[in-house]
Formats: sequence, structure tokens, C-alpha cells
Amino acid sequence: MKLGHLEPRGGLEKGRFFGYFYRVFLQRIQLRNFRNFEDETVDFPERGAALIGDNGQGKTNLLEAIYYLEIFRSFRGARDEQLIRFGTDHFRVEGSLVEAGGAEVTVAAAYRREGRRKKVTLNGDEPQRFGEAIGRIGAIVFTASDVEIVAGGPAARRRFLDIILSLVEPDYLAVLQRYRRILTQRNESLREGASPSELAAWNHGLVDAGCSIIEARARWVAEQRAGFARYYEKISGGQQASIDYAPSIPKPTGDRAAPIDRHGWIEAFHGRLQRLAERERRRGVTLAGPHRDELKFRVGNSSDAVGLRSFGSAGQQRTAAVALRMVEAETLRAALGGEPIIMLDDVFAELDPPRSERVVELLAAEEWGQVLVTSPKPSEFALMGDSLAEYRIAAGTLRRV
Amino acid sequence: MSVIDDLASEFTRLPGIGRKTAYRLTHYLLKIPPEEACRLARAIEAMAERVRRCSICNNLSESDPCEFCTNPTRDRTVICVVEEASDIAAIDGSGGYRGLYHVLGGCLSPLDGIGPEELNVDSLLARLNGEVREVIIATNPSVEGEATATYLHRAIGSRGVQVTRLARGLPVGGDLEYADGVTIAQALSGRRGM
Ligand SMILES: Nc1ncnc2c1ncn2[C@@H]1O[C@H](COP(=O)(O)OP(=O)(O)OP(=O)(O)O)[C@@H](O)[C@H]1O
Ligand SMILES: [Mg+2]
Ligand SMILES: [Zn+2]
Repeated sequence: MKLGHLEPRGGLEKGRFFGYFYRVFLQRIQLRNFRNFEDETVDFPERGAALIGDNGQGKTNLLEAIYYLEIFRSFRGARDEQLIRFGTDHFRVEGSLVEAGGAEVTVAAAYRREGRRKKVTLNGDEPQRFGEAIGRIGAIVFTASDVEIVAGGPAARRRFLDIILSLVEPDYLAVLQRYRRILTQRNESLREGASPSELAAWNHGLVDAGCSIIEARARWVAEQRAGFARYYEKISGGQQASIDYAPSIPKPTGDRAAPIDRHGWIEAFHGRLQRLAERERRRGVTLAGPHRDELKFRVGNSSDAVGLRSFGSAGQQRTAAVALRMVEAETLRAALGGEPIIMLDDVFAELDPPRSERVVELLAAEEWGQVLVTSPKPSEFALMGDSLAEYRIAAGTLRRV
Repeated sequence: MSVIDDLASEFTRLPGIGRKTAYRLTHYLLKIPPEEACRLARAIEAMAERVRRCSICNNLSESDPCEFCTNPTRDRTVICVVEEASDIAAIDGSGGYRGLYHVLGGCLSPLDGIGPEELNVDSLLARLNGEVREVIIATNPSVEGEATATYLHRAIGSRGVQVTRLARGLPVGGDLEYADGVTIAQALSGRRGM
């Protein structure tokens, strides 16, 4: 499997690719005091790069820095302080992107330990709202630890949903932040044993913001269900798996065929809070709402399907994780109207050779954009063809070879 | 500690003023003629001595009751509820409102230990005596301001008074105090029943 056949076909104008814009690519990344990088500037070709380096040299750190410009947080879930190079007081990452028309865009983020100050800029200006800068580069990371989304606790699955929805739904992040704020206030008021009327003051906002979150999650899962099953089947070579949204608020009953409307969710949420009121007061914490949602993965034929988290094999879990990222890529592709930048952090080491090959085939079938792949062993890249420029990473320095 | 340091450290207690700005202000006051500095000191003193809370609406005023509560030309059938006394100037300046006011003294925030008892809610309910036909809730469009509005709506609900909320259009999470007059006037005229 070579990338060679992915060259834009003759006659197609550059920038256009089968109806999709062959869009943004990362031309340059500048790192200052980010993890083990002191002061590095690297240029990447439009097609992408193969990054080779021994364990612990900074491969994942580099991808973490690039993806930081997408969500302004670590994809490993690290706190911002942890990203600052040991012994220094701030870090800065700047990416220069080239858009389809050739226009350059710079996205930068800096964080200072003192005062925990984070500054994000788009072309040098601070955006009015954080949400404007989020998802600007359009990237996706496949990592070996993605298996945690499928095999770990439910918080990882909610985080997955929240990130992808924040990237593609204009108001999602703002609503999520509102929901979290209300939830903290409401929990505090439960802990203090507030009167029912004071507690009720928080219910309206909790339900209102909560239902927007539930609706967005329900819609996304419904739209992506078939895609997930298709990817899983392709990667596994014919096996079946499914993904389902299991909201903490019981799905409103009624006409099964009709889509559940907002009003139905609002009533169900209020009803649930009412039923749980006594228990919430005893426990001092909010027991219903999207902060307790689940995303359920199952493998096998529908009649004897089992929960992937408890009963899936390690290989099945890894396959599901890759399929989930594929679905994420599809979501971004639709939202961006073009190809996201794809980063693969040592993922092939975890999959058996046939599965790895099918992953590459699938990505290739999507006419991928820029690709950044890491591996400790140059041999891993055989899979990707030899069309990618090679870089060596050692102790926080990066050189093209 | 010198008198210069004393004054600077008083300045640092003001919102938005750090050490550097505090010394800049102090040294500015040292440069101007002494009588100008004293005029500032007297203005602060007079304000601190004379300004009181209105015993009816909790507005800040030199007279008690305040100039809104005693003004016979104000519409006594409407009360506009705000978080802080400073919000009154913003709403009144918009020109779209001629009724009375009530200052809550903040908004519900369990995280800051503020419940209904910490706010001037009882004194608001005591004012709903038959003459008042509408209460406009003009708390900030923040999470806490919305919860406070919901709380008041339920508390007033059974008293046969119409409760309305400022229309959206005010920037969410923004402060009423900083919104411009046109925006506030529009939010007032577009207010809706809760
Ligand atoms: N804040 C920091 N300051 C300096 N160095 C750091 C910081 N955080 C992590 N490191 C160093 O970065 C290295 C790990 O880098 P990274 O995770 O990118 O390795 P890798 O190349 O992906 O290795 P592997 O192949 O094992 O995944 C470790 O040596 C660690 O000490
Ligand atoms: Mg790594
Ligand atoms: Zn008064």
C-alpha cells in the first residue's frame, strides 16, 4: 500500500479534490519550552511526515503540541502546567497553516505558570471567544491510548463526545461550560442542604443546558452509528460492532418512529430530578444529567452481542477505538468541507498487520490530507509507502533526513 | 511604613488596581497642587458619610427613602429588580423605564455562600402590596443571574403580580452595568413573561 496513487489526478486544479477542498496543511510548527522541546522550528511538506525516534524522545510530545492548537488542551489529558518544560515558566506553540487558496493562517497558544495565564491568538489577534479559535486547524490524532475511550471509565467516552461536538457544533462548548457551572452550583447547594425552592432555582438552567447537550450527543451518535459499524467491519475483516448512546435521562417514550423532540427530553429530565430529589438530598450531589451519560459499545451479532468494555478482547477494543477515530475524522471532514490533518501516534504497533493494512487502506480511500506518523522503527512506515518525508526526533530536537 | 506607602496600599484594595498602578496614582497625587488632592479626599469622605442604603429598595442614596422611591412622577405599579445599585444607573440612563427599583445585593451563588437569605428578597416580597402589578427581573444574563430570576419568579408567582424578564439581546455572561443604553432599552421593551 503506497501513498503514491493519491497524487491529485491530472487536470484537477490544486485545492479541489472530488468536491472536497484539499484544505489546510501545517507548514511550520514553532515550539518554545513545550515538554522536552526547548526552542524548535520545523517545516513540514504538504503531504506530511514520518517522525522516527526512540522511546521517550518527544514524538508524542510533538503531536500533543500540534493538537494543542486544535483544542487548546493536552490530548493526553495533562494539565497545562505539565506541558511547560521542566525548570521554565511558560510554553508557547505556534503553527502556520496554509489554506486551500494559499492564504496563511497562524494559530498560537501560550501558557504561563504564574497566574495560570493562557493566551490564544489567531493571526496575532486574540479572538473574542475561545470557541472561535477552537478547531481552526482541523486535526485528528490516533494514539495507542485511544483504547482507553472504549475500555476505560465512562468519563473518557463523555470527554470524547464533548471534544468532537465542541469542534463541529458552534454552540456546544458554551452550553457545556454553562452546564458545568450550573452543576457545580447545584451540587454545592445540595451539599449545604439548601431549601427545595432554592434548589429548584437551579433546575431550570440545568435542564435547559443539559437537554441541549443530550440532543447534540443523541443526534451525533444516531448519525454516526452506521459509519462506526462499517469501519469496524472493514478493519476487523467482517466482524460486527455497534455504538449506542445511553443517556442518564431515560429516553422519553412515545411514538418510537418519531424523533424525540426537545420538549420530550425536558419533561423526562424534570421528571427524573423529581424522582431523585430525596436521594439527591441524602447524597448531596446531582444524580441525573449528561454528566452521567454513557456511550455503549458492543461486539458480535445483534442476537449475541456483548459489551466491549467488559467482554471484548484487547484486539477488538483497539479496533473499536480506531473505528471511532475514523468516525471522528468523517465528522470533521463534513464540518470542514475538506480533509483534516491526520496524526498517527505509533498506532500500527498495537494492531496486527492485516488490520494495520486495512486502516491505511481506509484512510487512503478518504483521499487523506496531510499525515503525520510517528514510530520508533523506520520499518513501520513501509505500510505508508515511502512517499512521506522522514524526520528524526532525539531528545527534543527534530531534523529532516 | 511611610504615608506614601499607606496611601498606595489603600489604593491596591480597589478593584483592578495592582501595586504598580497604586504607586502611579499616589505619585500623581503628590505632583498636583495639595488643594486638589484634599478636594478628592473630602469628596471620598462626604460620600462615605452621607451615602446610605434606601430602607425601601436598598439603592444607594443620600436620602432615605431614595430619590426614586420618593419621586411622585415614577410609575409605582412596576418594580425593576437588579443585582447591584450600580445597575440602576445603566437602566435609568437607557430612558426606557419610569418605574421603581429594587436592589437584591447580588445573586444566588452557593459557591460563594450566597443563598436567598443573603439577598434582599424578603424586602422585595414585602413591597408587593396590591399597587404593584409587574415585577421586571433584570438580573445579569449569567448562570447565577438566571437562577436568581427563576427563584424570584417562583417566590413571587403566587401573589397575582406579573413577572417578566429582560429579553435576551444582552450579551450572555455580560454585566448589565456595561451594556449600552440602546441594548438595554430594547431588552426592556422586549421583556417577556416568565
Ligand atoms: N514538562 C516536561 N519538561 C521536560 N521534559 C518532559 C516534560 N514532560 C515530558 N518530558 C519528557 O518527554 C519524554 C517523553 O516524550 P514522549 O512522550 O513524546 O516520548 P515518545 O517519543 O512519544 O516515546 P514513546 O515511543 O515511548 O511513545 C520523557 O523523556 C519526559 O521526561
Ligand atoms: Mg509516544
Ligand atoms: Zn429607594
